[in-house]
Amino acid sequence: MRQGVLHRLDGVARIISPFFVTLLLVLLALLPLRVSAIAPIMPAVALVGVFFWSVHRPDLMPIWAVFLIGFVQDLLAGGAWGPGIVGLLLAHALVVWQHRFFLAASFVLIWCVFMLVAAVAMTVTWLCACLAMMTYIDPGPVFFQYLMTVAIYPCLAWAFLRGQRLFQR
Amino acid sequence: MNKPTGSEIRVASPLKAWASRFALLLLVGAAFGLMLIGRTNGFLVEQTRTTVTDMVTPILDAVSQPVDTFSGVIDQAESLANLQSQNIALKEQNARLLHWQAVARQLEAENAALRDLNRMVPDPGMRFITARVVGDPGGAFVRSVLINAGDRDGIEKGQAAMTGAGLAGRVAEVGLRSARILLVTDINSRIPVIVGGGRDRAVLAGDNTNYPQLLYLGPTAKLRIGDQVTTSGHGGVFPPGLAIGVVSAVSETSIRVEPFVDWAHMEYLRVVDYEMSGILDFQSVEAARAAEAEAAAAEAAQAARAGGEGPQQ
Repeated sequence: MRQGVLHRLDGVARIISPFFVTLLLVLLALLPLRVSAIAPIMPAVALVGVFFWSVHRPDLMPIWAVFLIGFVQDLLAGGAWGPGIVGLLLAHALVVWQHRFFLAASFVLIWCVFMLVAAVAMTVTWLCACLAMMTYIDPGPVFFQYLMTVAIYPCLAWAFLRGQRLFQR
Repeated sequence: MNKPTGSEIRVASPLKAWASRFALLLLVGAAFGLMLIGRTNGFLVEQTRTTVTDMVTPILDAVSQPVDTFSGVIDQAESLANLQSQNIALKEQNARLLHWQAVARQLEAENAALRDLNRMVPDPGMRFITARVVGDPGGAFVRSVLINAGDRDGIEKGQAAMTGAGLAGRVAEVGLRSARILLVTDINSRIPVIVGGGRDRAVLAGDNTNYPQLLYLGPTAKLRIGDQVTTSGHGGVFPPGLAIGVVSAVSETSIRVEPFVDWAHMEYLRVVDYEMSGILDFQSVEAARAAEAEAAAAEAAQAARAGGEGPQQ
Protein backbone atom coordinates (compact mmCIF):
# COMPACT_ATOMS: atom_id res chain seq x y z
CA MET A 1 0.00 0.00 0.00
CA ARG A 2 2.72 2.36 1.12
CA GLN A 3 4.77 1.38 -1.87
CA GLY A 4 1.74 2.13 -4.04
CA VAL A 5 1.33 5.65 -2.67
CA LEU A 6 5.01 6.41 -3.08
CA HIS A 7 4.93 5.03 -6.59
CA ARG A 8 1.98 7.17 -7.47
CA LEU A 9 3.59 10.27 -5.92
CA ASP A 10 6.69 9.55 -7.96
CA GLY A 11 4.56 9.33 -11.08
CA VAL A 12 2.83 12.64 -10.33
CA ALA A 13 6.18 14.30 -9.66
CA ARG A 14 7.45 13.13 -13.05
CA ILE A 15 4.36 14.46 -14.79
CA ILE A 16 4.40 17.92 -13.23
CA SER A 17 8.16 18.41 -13.06
CA PRO A 18 8.56 20.12 -16.48
CA PHE A 19 5.91 22.65 -15.54
CA PHE A 20 7.42 23.37 -12.13
CA VAL A 21 11.00 23.42 -13.32
CA THR A 22 10.05 26.03 -15.93
CA LEU A 23 8.19 28.07 -13.29
CA LEU A 24 11.24 27.83 -11.02
CA LEU A 25 13.43 29.13 -13.86
CA VAL A 26 11.10 32.09 -14.30
CA LEU A 27 11.51 32.80 -10.57
CA LEU A 28 15.29 32.39 -10.64
CA ALA A 29 15.52 34.78 -13.57
CA LEU A 30 14.02 37.40 -11.22
CA LEU A 31 17.02 37.30 -8.89
CA PRO A 32 19.05 40.49 -8.97
CA LEU A 33 22.44 39.45 -10.34
CA ARG A 34 24.03 42.88 -9.76
CA VAL A 35 25.68 42.81 -13.15
CA SER A 36 25.05 46.14 -14.77
CA ALA A 37 24.46 45.20 -18.37
CA ILE A 38 22.64 41.92 -17.92
CA ALA A 39 19.25 43.01 -16.54
CA PRO A 40 17.72 44.32 -19.79
CA ILE A 41 18.97 41.33 -21.80
CA MET A 42 18.19 38.58 -19.29
CA PRO A 43 17.58 35.45 -21.40
CA ALA A 44 13.95 34.43 -21.80
CA VAL A 45 14.28 31.19 -19.80
CA ALA A 46 10.56 30.41 -19.92
CA LEU A 47 10.83 30.18 -23.70
CA VAL A 48 13.70 27.69 -23.40
CA GLY A 49 11.73 25.52 -20.95
CA VAL A 50 8.53 25.57 -22.96
CA PHE A 51 10.35 24.83 -26.23
CA PHE A 52 12.46 22.02 -24.76
CA TRP A 53 9.56 20.14 -23.28
CA SER A 54 7.24 20.80 -26.18
CA VAL A 55 9.84 19.08 -28.34
CA HIS A 56 10.86 16.20 -26.09
CA ARG A 57 7.80 15.54 -23.91
CA PRO A 58 4.80 17.37 -25.40
CA ASP A 59 2.55 15.26 -23.17
CA LEU A 60 4.13 16.85 -20.08
CA MET A 61 3.89 20.42 -21.41
CA PRO A 62 0.20 20.83 -22.28
CA ILE A 63 -1.00 24.10 -23.72
CA TRP A 64 -2.71 25.26 -20.52
CA ALA A 65 0.60 24.86 -18.65
CA VAL A 66 2.25 27.08 -21.29
CA PHE A 67 -0.48 29.64 -20.73
CA LEU A 68 0.02 29.56 -16.94
CA ILE A 69 3.81 29.90 -17.21
CA GLY A 70 3.35 32.88 -19.52
CA PHE A 71 0.86 34.46 -17.17
CA VAL A 72 3.10 34.09 -14.11
CA GLN A 73 6.02 35.47 -16.10
CA ASP A 74 4.04 38.52 -17.22
CA LEU A 75 2.72 39.07 -13.69
CA LEU A 76 6.17 39.02 -12.13
CA ALA A 77 7.80 41.13 -14.82
CA GLY A 78 5.54 44.04 -13.94
CA GLY A 79 4.81 44.98 -17.53
CA ALA A 80 1.66 44.47 -19.53
CA TRP A 81 -0.34 41.26 -19.26
CA GLY A 82 -0.46 39.08 -22.33
CA PRO A 83 2.55 39.65 -24.61
CA GLY A 84 4.65 36.95 -22.94
CA ILE A 85 1.74 34.50 -23.02
CA VAL A 86 1.17 35.02 -26.75
CA GLY A 87 4.89 34.47 -27.47
CA LEU A 88 5.05 31.22 -25.49
CA LEU A 89 1.78 29.89 -26.96
CA LEU A 90 3.08 30.61 -30.43
CA ALA A 91 6.36 28.78 -29.76
CA HIS A 92 4.43 25.81 -28.37
CA ALA A 93 2.04 25.77 -31.33
CA LEU A 94 4.89 25.91 -33.87
CA VAL A 95 6.63 22.95 -32.21
CA VAL A 96 3.46 20.86 -31.91
CA TRP A 97 2.54 21.66 -35.52
CA GLN A 98 5.83 20.24 -36.81
CA HIS A 99 6.11 17.54 -34.19
CA ARG A 100 7.05 14.73 -36.60
CA PHE A 101 10.09 16.71 -37.69
CA PHE A 102 11.66 16.52 -34.22
CA LEU A 103 11.35 12.76 -33.86
CA ALA A 104 14.64 12.04 -35.59
CA ALA A 105 16.31 15.43 -35.30
CA SER A 106 19.82 15.83 -33.85
CA PHE A 107 20.60 18.28 -31.04
CA VAL A 108 22.23 20.83 -33.34
CA LEU A 109 19.25 20.73 -35.67
CA ILE A 110 16.84 21.26 -32.75
CA TRP A 111 18.98 24.19 -31.62
CA CYS A 112 18.77 25.73 -35.10
CA VAL A 113 15.00 25.31 -35.06
CA PHE A 114 14.95 26.93 -31.62
CA MET A 115 16.70 29.98 -33.13
CA LEU A 116 13.89 30.29 -35.67
CA VAL A 117 11.07 29.65 -33.20
CA ALA A 118 12.58 32.03 -30.61
CA ALA A 119 12.97 34.72 -33.28
CA VAL A 120 9.31 34.44 -34.24
CA ALA A 121 8.07 34.21 -30.64
CA MET A 122 10.13 37.15 -29.38
CA THR A 123 9.22 39.35 -32.35
CA VAL A 124 5.55 38.67 -31.70
CA THR A 125 6.05 39.31 -27.96
CA TRP A 126 7.67 42.64 -28.80
CA LEU A 127 4.84 43.60 -31.17
CA CYS A 128 2.24 42.66 -28.55
CA ALA A 129 4.11 44.61 -25.85
CA CYS A 130 4.16 47.70 -28.10
CA LEU A 131 0.44 47.22 -28.71
CA ALA A 132 -0.38 46.65 -25.04
CA MET A 133 1.65 49.62 -23.82
CA MET A 134 0.57 51.80 -26.77
CA THR A 135 4.11 53.03 -27.35
CA TYR A 136 7.06 52.22 -29.55
CA ILE A 137 9.60 50.18 -27.59
CA ASP A 138 13.19 50.15 -28.76
CA PRO A 139 13.75 46.64 -30.23
CA GLY A 140 17.52 46.74 -29.52
CA PRO A 141 17.38 45.09 -26.07
CA VAL A 142 14.92 42.51 -27.42
CA PHE A 143 17.47 41.53 -30.04
CA PHE A 144 20.24 41.12 -27.44
CA GLN A 145 17.83 39.21 -25.23
CA TYR A 146 17.22 36.92 -28.19
CA LEU A 147 20.96 36.32 -28.65
CA MET A 148 21.34 35.55 -24.93
CA THR A 149 18.40 33.15 -25.06
CA VAL A 150 19.84 31.29 -28.05
CA ALA A 151 23.23 31.14 -26.33
CA ILE A 152 21.86 29.76 -23.09
CA TYR A 153 19.72 27.09 -24.77
CA PRO A 154 22.42 24.37 -24.91
CA CYS A 155 23.30 24.83 -21.21
CA LEU A 156 19.70 24.58 -20.04
CA ALA A 157 18.87 21.78 -22.47
CA TRP A 158 21.85 19.81 -21.15
CA ALA A 159 20.66 20.31 -17.56
CA PHE A 160 17.10 19.30 -18.52
CA LEU A 161 18.35 16.17 -20.29
CA ARG A 162 20.47 15.18 -17.28
CA GLY A 163 17.46 15.69 -15.03
CA GLN A 164 15.28 13.61 -17.30
CA ARG A 165 17.78 10.75 -17.33
CA LEU A 166 18.05 10.91 -13.55
CA PHE A 167 14.30 10.57 -13.34
CA GLN A 168 14.18 7.66 -15.73
CA ARG A 169 16.80 5.65 -13.81
CA MET B 1 -1.07 0.06 -20.15
CA ASN B 2 -3.87 -0.08 -22.69
CA LYS B 3 -2.49 0.53 -26.13
CA PRO B 4 -5.05 2.29 -28.37
CA THR B 5 -6.16 0.20 -31.29
CA GLY B 6 -5.88 1.37 -34.87
CA SER B 7 -9.48 2.44 -35.22
CA GLU B 8 -9.32 4.39 -31.95
CA ILE B 9 -6.33 6.30 -33.27
CA ARG B 10 -8.13 7.02 -36.53
CA VAL B 11 -11.08 8.54 -34.71
CA ALA B 12 -9.20 10.07 -31.82
CA SER B 13 -6.34 11.83 -33.58
CA PRO B 14 -8.41 14.24 -35.73
CA LEU B 15 -10.57 14.93 -32.71
CA LYS B 16 -7.50 15.55 -30.61
CA ALA B 17 -5.97 17.78 -33.27
CA TRP B 18 -9.18 19.74 -33.52
CA ALA B 19 -9.38 20.10 -29.74
CA SER B 20 -5.77 21.26 -29.46
CA ARG B 21 -6.25 23.79 -32.25
CA PHE B 22 -9.37 25.05 -30.56
CA ALA B 23 -7.52 25.29 -27.23
CA LEU B 24 -4.76 27.30 -28.91
CA LEU B 25 -7.24 29.77 -30.38
CA LEU B 26 -9.06 30.00 -27.07
CA LEU B 27 -5.90 30.63 -25.05
CA VAL B 28 -4.47 33.16 -27.52
CA GLY B 29 -7.85 34.89 -27.33
CA ALA B 30 -7.61 34.80 -23.56
CA ALA B 31 -4.14 36.34 -23.70
CA PHE B 32 -5.46 39.21 -25.82
CA GLY B 33 -8.36 39.51 -23.41
CA LEU B 34 -5.88 39.87 -20.55
CA MET B 35 -4.07 42.56 -22.53
CA LEU B 36 -7.34 44.43 -22.84
CA ILE B 37 -8.13 44.01 -19.14
CA GLY B 38 -4.62 45.25 -18.35
CA ARG B 39 -5.33 48.42 -20.33
CA THR B 40 -8.73 49.09 -18.83
CA ASN B 41 -8.80 47.75 -15.28
CA GLY B 42 -5.71 49.00 -13.47
CA PHE B 43 -7.00 48.13 -10.03
CA LEU B 44 -7.55 44.44 -10.80
CA VAL B 45 -4.13 44.19 -12.45
CA GLU B 46 -2.46 45.74 -9.43
CA GLN B 47 -4.32 43.54 -6.94
CA THR B 48 -3.45 40.32 -8.76
CA ARG B 49 0.13 41.35 -9.28
CA THR B 50 0.75 42.35 -5.67
CA THR B 51 -0.79 39.08 -4.46
CA VAL B 52 1.57 37.04 -6.63
CA THR B 53 4.55 39.25 -5.74
CA ASP B 54 3.75 38.87 -2.05
CA MET B 55 3.81 35.10 -2.41
CA VAL B 56 7.09 35.09 -4.29
CA THR B 57 9.01 37.68 -2.27
CA PRO B 58 9.88 35.48 0.76
CA ILE B 59 11.39 32.90 -1.62
CA LEU B 60 13.31 35.56 -3.50
CA ASP B 61 14.41 37.09 -0.22
CA ALA B 62 15.91 33.82 0.93
CA VAL B 63 17.53 32.89 -2.38
CA SER B 64 18.89 36.33 -3.18
CA GLN B 65 21.03 36.44 -0.05
CA PRO B 66 23.60 33.88 -1.23
CA VAL B 67 23.58 35.59 -4.63
CA ASP B 68 24.39 38.86 -2.87
CA THR B 69 27.16 37.23 -0.89
CA PHE B 70 28.59 35.72 -4.05
CA SER B 71 28.57 39.01 -5.94
CA GLY B 72 30.03 40.64 -2.81
CA VAL B 73 32.96 38.20 -2.96
CA ILE B 74 33.50 39.04 -6.64
CA ASP B 75 33.38 42.75 -5.84
CA GLN B 76 35.92 42.24 -3.07
CA ALA B 77 38.27 40.36 -5.35
CA GLU B 78 37.93 43.12 -7.92
CA SER B 79 38.64 45.84 -5.38
CA LEU B 80 41.66 43.92 -4.01
CA ALA B 81 43.09 43.90 -7.48
CA ASN B 82 43.12 47.67 -7.80
CA LEU B 83 43.58 48.60 -4.17
CA GLN B 84 46.35 51.11 -4.66
CA SER B 85 44.83 53.14 -7.45
CA GLN B 86 41.51 53.12 -5.62
CA ASN B 87 43.22 54.37 -2.47
CA ILE B 88 44.77 57.32 -4.28
CA ALA B 89 41.46 58.17 -5.94
CA LEU B 90 39.65 57.94 -2.61
CA LYS B 91 42.17 60.22 -0.88
CA GLU B 92 41.68 62.83 -3.59
CA GLN B 93 37.94 62.47 -3.34
CA ASN B 94 38.10 62.72 0.44
CA ALA B 95 39.98 66.00 0.28
CA ARG B 96 37.46 67.35 -2.19
CA LEU B 97 34.51 66.16 -0.10
CA LEU B 98 35.92 67.67 3.10
CA HIS B 99 35.99 70.98 1.32
CA TRP B 100 32.40 70.48 0.23
CA GLN B 101 31.42 69.49 3.73
CA ALA B 102 32.70 72.79 5.06
CA VAL B 103 30.82 74.64 2.33
CA ALA B 104 27.66 72.66 3.05
CA ARG B 105 27.83 73.36 6.78
CA GLN B 106 28.25 77.04 6.12
CA LEU B 107 25.35 77.07 3.68
CA GLU B 108 23.20 75.08 6.08
CA ALA B 109 23.74 77.62 8.84
CA GLU B 110 23.11 80.48 6.45
CA ASN B 111 20.01 78.74 5.11
CA ALA B 112 18.63 78.19 8.59
CA ALA B 113 19.22 81.83 9.48
CA LEU B 114 17.52 83.06 6.29
CA ARG B 115 14.58 80.73 6.78
CA ASP B 116 14.23 82.02 10.27
CA LEU B 117 14.34 85.60 9.00
CA ASN B 118 11.67 84.89 6.39
CA ARG B 119 9.50 82.77 8.69
CA MET B 120 9.42 80.18 5.94
CA VAL B 121 7.08 77.22 6.35
CA PRO B 122 9.37 74.26 7.08
CA ASP B 123 9.27 71.29 4.71
CA PRO B 124 7.38 68.34 6.13
CA GLY B 125 9.55 65.85 7.98
CA MET B 126 11.08 62.85 6.25
CA ARG B 127 11.34 59.28 7.45
CA PHE B 128 13.35 56.57 5.74
CA ILE B 129 12.42 52.92 5.36
CA THR B 130 15.32 50.77 4.22
CA ALA B 131 14.56 47.63 2.20
CA ARG B 132 16.56 45.04 0.29
CA VAL B 133 16.21 44.66 -3.46
CA VAL B 134 15.12 41.04 -3.88
CA GLY B 135 13.93 40.92 -7.48
CA ASP B 136 14.94 42.44 -10.78
CA PRO B 137 12.58 41.24 -13.50
CA GLY B 138 14.86 42.47 -16.27
CA GLY B 139 13.57 42.01 -19.77
CA ALA B 140 13.32 44.53 -22.56
CA PHE B 141 9.98 46.11 -21.72
CA VAL B 142 10.12 47.34 -18.12
CA ARG B 143 12.63 48.73 -15.65
CA SER B 144 11.47 47.89 -12.15
CA VAL B 145 12.70 46.10 -9.03
CA LEU B 146 11.02 44.33 -6.14
CA ILE B 147 11.85 45.17 -2.52
CA ASN B 148 11.13 43.13 0.60
CA ALA B 149 9.12 45.78 2.43
CA GLY B 150 5.49 46.60 1.95
CA ASP B 151 2.34 47.93 3.52
CA ARG B 152 3.13 46.53 6.97
CA ASP B 153 6.46 48.40 6.99
CA GLY B 154 4.81 51.69 6.13
CA ILE B 155 5.52 51.77 2.40
CA GLU B 156 2.95 53.66 0.40
CA LYS B 157 2.33 54.18 -3.27
CA GLY B 158 4.10 57.19 -4.74
CA GLN B 159 6.97 57.36 -2.26
CA ALA B 160 10.48 58.01 -3.56
CA ALA B 161 13.08 55.23 -3.48
CA MET B 162 16.70 56.30 -3.17
CA THR B 163 20.18 54.87 -2.93
CA GLY B 164 22.98 56.76 -1.21
CA ALA B 165 23.80 58.36 -4.56
CA GLY B 166 20.39 59.62 -5.61
CA LEU B 167 16.83 58.92 -6.66
CA ALA B 168 16.25 55.42 -8.09
CA GLY B 169 12.50 55.44 -8.66
CA ARG B 170 9.10 55.57 -7.07
CA VAL B 171 6.88 53.01 -5.40
CA ALA B 172 4.41 51.85 -8.05
CA GLU B 173 2.68 48.91 -6.34
CA VAL B 174 2.50 47.91 -2.70
CA GLY B 175 1.73 44.47 -1.34
CA LEU B 176 1.66 43.39 2.26
CA ARG B 177 5.34 42.47 2.44
CA SER B 178 6.66 43.53 -0.95
CA ALA B 179 6.59 46.53 -3.20
CA ARG B 180 7.51 47.26 -6.80
CA ILE B 181 9.72 50.25 -7.53
CA LEU B 182 9.32 51.79 -10.98
CA LEU B 183 12.82 53.00 -11.86
CA VAL B 184 13.40 56.47 -13.29
CA THR B 185 14.58 54.79 -16.51
CA ASP B 186 11.27 52.97 -17.12
CA ILE B 187 9.22 53.99 -20.14
CA ASN B 188 6.29 54.92 -17.86
CA SER B 189 8.32 57.07 -15.43
CA ARG B 190 7.64 60.84 -15.43
CA ILE B 191 9.19 63.03 -12.72
CA PRO B 192 8.96 66.82 -12.36
CA VAL B 193 12.52 68.13 -12.00
CA ILE B 194 14.59 71.28 -11.74
CA VAL B 195 17.70 71.57 -13.87
CA GLY B 196 20.94 73.44 -13.40
CA GLY B 197 21.77 76.79 -11.86
CA GLY B 198 18.95 78.48 -13.76
CA ARG B 199 16.50 76.24 -11.88
CA ASP B 200 14.52 75.51 -15.04
CA ARG B 201 11.54 73.23 -14.66
CA ALA B 202 11.23 70.11 -16.78
CA VAL B 203 9.94 66.57 -16.72
CA LEU B 204 12.33 63.63 -16.58
CA ALA B 205 10.92 60.86 -18.75
CA GLY B 206 12.34 57.35 -18.93
CA ASP B 207 12.45 55.37 -22.17
CA ASN B 208 13.91 52.03 -20.99
CA THR B 209 17.47 53.16 -21.74
CA ASN B 210 19.96 54.01 -18.99
CA TYR B 211 19.75 57.69 -19.91
CA PRO B 212 16.27 59.19 -19.38
CA GLN B 213 15.23 62.31 -21.33
CA LEU B 214 14.30 65.83 -20.25
CA LEU B 215 10.95 66.94 -21.67
CA TYR B 216 8.89 70.15 -21.62
CA LEU B 217 11.88 72.37 -20.99
CA GLY B 218 11.18 76.06 -21.45
CA PRO B 219 12.51 77.70 -24.65
CA THR B 220 14.71 80.08 -22.69
CA ALA B 221 16.42 77.38 -20.67
CA LYS B 222 20.17 77.17 -21.14
CA LEU B 223 21.66 73.80 -20.34
CA ARG B 224 25.20 72.57 -20.16
CA ILE B 225 26.53 69.06 -19.84
CA GLY B 226 27.10 68.37 -16.14
CA ASP B 227 24.14 70.44 -14.89
CA GLN B 228 22.50 68.90 -11.83
CA VAL B 229 18.99 67.46 -12.08
CA THR B 230 16.98 67.32 -8.85
CA THR B 231 13.33 66.69 -8.02
CA SER B 232 11.28 69.85 -8.00
CA GLY B 233 8.59 68.73 -5.59
CA HIS B 234 5.86 69.86 -8.00
CA GLY B 235 2.81 67.66 -7.91
CA GLY B 236 3.45 66.85 -4.28
CA VAL B 237 4.77 63.37 -5.03
CA PHE B 238 8.43 63.71 -4.16
CA PRO B 239 10.13 66.01 -1.69
CA PRO B 240 11.99 68.79 -3.51
CA GLY B 241 15.75 68.65 -3.86
CA LEU B 242 16.40 64.90 -4.17
CA ALA B 243 19.42 64.44 -6.42
CA ILE B 244 18.74 62.43 -9.58
CA GLY B 245 21.69 62.90 -11.92
CA VAL B 246 23.50 65.20 -14.31
CA VAL B 247 22.80 66.28 -17.88
CA SER B 248 24.99 63.98 -19.97
CA ALA B 249 24.13 64.84 -23.56
CA VAL B 250 22.45 67.78 -25.25
CA SER B 251 21.42 67.51 -28.89
CA GLU B 252 18.88 69.07 -31.22
CA THR B 253 16.33 66.36 -30.60
CA SER B 254 16.83 65.31 -27.01
CA ILE B 255 18.51 66.08 -23.72
CA ARG B 256 19.75 63.04 -21.82
CA VAL B 257 20.36 62.68 -18.10
CA GLU B 258 22.78 60.26 -16.47
CA PRO B 259 21.36 59.15 -13.10
CA PHE B 260 23.72 58.98 -10.11
CA VAL B 261 22.42 55.56 -9.12
CA ASP B 262 24.74 52.65 -9.80
CA TRP B 263 22.20 50.19 -11.22
CA ALA B 264 24.58 47.25 -10.90
CA HIS B 265 25.10 47.63 -7.16
CA MET B 266 21.62 48.57 -6.07
CA GLU B 267 21.43 46.23 -3.10
CA TYR B 268 19.38 48.34 -0.70
CA LEU B 269 16.89 51.12 -1.32
CA ARG B 270 15.77 53.78 1.11
CA VAL B 271 12.12 54.63 0.65
CA VAL B 272 11.41 58.22 1.64
CA ASP B 273 8.28 58.62 3.68
CA TYR B 274 7.62 62.28 3.02
CA GLU B 275 4.82 63.33 5.28
CA MET B 276 2.72 64.76 2.52
CA SER B 277 -0.37 63.36 0.94
CA GLY B 278 1.01 63.05 -2.59
CA ILE B 279 -0.86 62.07 -5.71
CA LEU B 280 -3.19 59.65 -4.03
CA ASP B 281 -4.91 62.26 -1.91
CA PHE B 282 -5.28 65.40 -3.92
CA GLN B 283 -8.45 66.53 -2.22
CA SER B 284 -7.03 66.87 1.26
CA VAL B 285 -3.98 68.71 -0.11
CA GLU B 286 -6.24 71.10 -2.00
CA ALA B 287 -8.40 71.58 1.09
CA ALA B 288 -5.37 72.27 3.26
CA ARG B 289 -4.05 74.75 0.69
CA ALA B 290 -7.41 76.50 0.44
CA ALA B 291 -7.59 76.79 4.24
CA GLU B 292 -4.04 78.14 4.33
CA ALA B 293 -4.78 80.67 1.60
CA GLU B 294 -7.92 81.78 3.40
CA ALA B 295 -6.05 82.22 6.66
CA ALA B 296 -3.30 84.15 4.87
CA ALA B 297 -5.87 86.37 3.13
CA ALA B 298 -7.62 87.08 6.42
CA GLU B 299 -4.30 87.90 8.03
CA ALA B 300 -3.34 90.17 5.15
CA ALA B 301 -6.67 91.96 5.34
CA GLN B 302 -6.20 92.43 9.05
CA ALA B 303 -2.69 93.71 8.52
CA ALA B 304 -3.90 96.10 5.81
CA ARG B 305 -6.60 97.39 8.13
CA ALA B 306 -4.09 97.81 10.90
CA GLY B 307 -1.68 99.48 8.41
CA GLY B 308 -4.46 101.73 7.11
CA GLU B 309 -5.41 102.77 10.60
CA GLY B 310 -1.77 103.15 11.63
CA PRO B 311 -0.85 106.48 9.89
CA GLN B 312 -4.13 108.13 10.82
CA GLN B 313 -3.46 107.77 14.47
